[in-house]
Amino acid sequence: MMPHESVHTVQSYEQELEQLRSLVNKMGGLVERQVAQAITAVVEHDEEAALDAPEMDPQVDELERETEALVIRLLALRAPMAGDLREVVVALKISGDLERIGDCAASIARRAMRNELLSCPISLTGLHSMGRLVQENLRRTIDAMDQRDPELARIVWHSDTAVDELYVSLFRELVTYMMEDPRNIGPCAHLLFIAKNLERIGDHATNISERVYYAVTGNILPIVRPRGKTFD
Amino acid sequence: MNKIIMDDTTGRDTLQPALAIRNLNFWYGSNHALKDISLDFPIHQVTGMIGPSGCGKSTLLRILNRMYDLYPGQRATGEVLFDERNILSPGLDVNVLRSRIGMVFQKPTPFPMSIYDNIAFGVRLHERLSRTEMDQRVEGVLRRVALWNEVKDRLNASAAALSGGQQQRLCIARTIATRPEVILLDEPTSALDPISTARIEELLDELKQEFSIAIVTHNLQQAARCADRVAFFYMGELVEVDTADKMFTAPHAKRTQDYITGRFG
Repeated sequence: MMPHESVHTVQSYEQELEQLRSLVNKMGGLVERQVAQAITAVVEHDEEAALDAPEMDPQVDELERETEALVIRLLALRAPMAGDLREVVVALKISGDLERIGDCAASIARRAMRNELLSCPISLTGLHSMGRLVQENLRRTIDAMDQRDPELARIVWHSDTAVDELYVSLFRELVTYMMEDPRNIGPCAHLLFIAKNLERIGDHATNISERVYYAVTGNILPIVRPRGKTFD
Repeated sequence: MNKIIMDDTTGRDTLQPALAIRNLNFWYGSNHALKDISLDFPIHQVTGMIGPSGCGKSTLLRILNRMYDLYPGQRATGEVLFDERNILSPGLDVNVLRSRIGMVFQKPTPFPMSIYDNIAFGVRLHERLSRTEMDQRVEGVLRRVALWNEVKDRLNASAAALSGGQQQRLCIARTIATRPEVILLDEPTSALDPISTARIEELLDELKQEFSIAIVTHNLQQAARCADRVAFFYMGELVEVDTADKMFTAPHAKRTQDYITGRFG
């Protein structure tokens, strides 16, 4: 996240907060790339991308651990207050969400090169648009975090509705294919898991934007997020 | 300067205040030390006052039991309402006021007399008690401040022999012995070690069930731990007052945020 307008009297405190921001930003950038590679792997059958996404996982995990250690250190030694307290606690929560996003991306990438999907007769257009939307939401979430922009965070928070709706329609479409021809069950099952993972990435991005909004404004967005159509 | 933010959920709408300050101004000669302050001190709550040095918080505390009478060249306008009377009005009996609004200072200030007499002295000024009643009063308040077990065998020893933390608890005992309604504390733990500090803080938590408390502190963590409501002062103005929870997690005013996060002051 961006620093506050004014700086701390204690320089080393300011530096530690700066270090925390840079850790979370770095993690955000890495995870964003991981998701992009995972989606490329699925829709373009790109083998390199498929290998790339899971390989980044240990790095993401390591950054999460570093963030956690720094947050505990800051809480113990600096006893942050008000905006600083919110930022520090939120950094811890965000790093958890980013790590989960990384896991989802790795899981998508691992399915991408399955034979069932490579020879799949089913159009990937639906999945592609869902992937693009999720990627876009994630990018804007990370921008909101980086720029400490509560308005942008609120917009992304709202736009997850579209991801939910795409997920539901994709689900129905895939179930239809499976009913039409049992040979579709294999590839469609994989595609369903991929779609579910994309939907989860969207949810984690929503969590992050909620937390950014809180860190910057001190206010909490309504507990019930606007949701798209769900299964009846 | 930012507008004063009053939190009406914990402010005057719901709780009868023990003390209510209205449009208070105060001058040290030509120095305008407090500017149009309005603030409530709710009954049975701890109100913390924070702010950088020279912001007026100690001045405010001193006005509340008319300590400013002791120095020439000082004047106050506005009202401080206590039991439906204005504390600032000239006709008020200051000695009675000070028995009802007690004060504890930064450094322990035991009188140069025995532990027993430190407590009995103030009581004798306002009440005529039998020896047994006085004994009971002394024991009662010493128990109240958790000092009884430490001093019961040496009540006639000089109070100066006690440790700093014990002396400060003795001063609190002395203050509550006259059965005040309000206790004012001016940085009561700044000269004490962490254990003594924790004991005083624990004591405040108990005492607020019986008294209303106002505490001035430079220690923000202490304000966060002890106070129900916190008022932030800056250059003679009341910038913001709210619940401690709100003040230390999400204050409204940027100046408050900057001060409590250590960005100036």
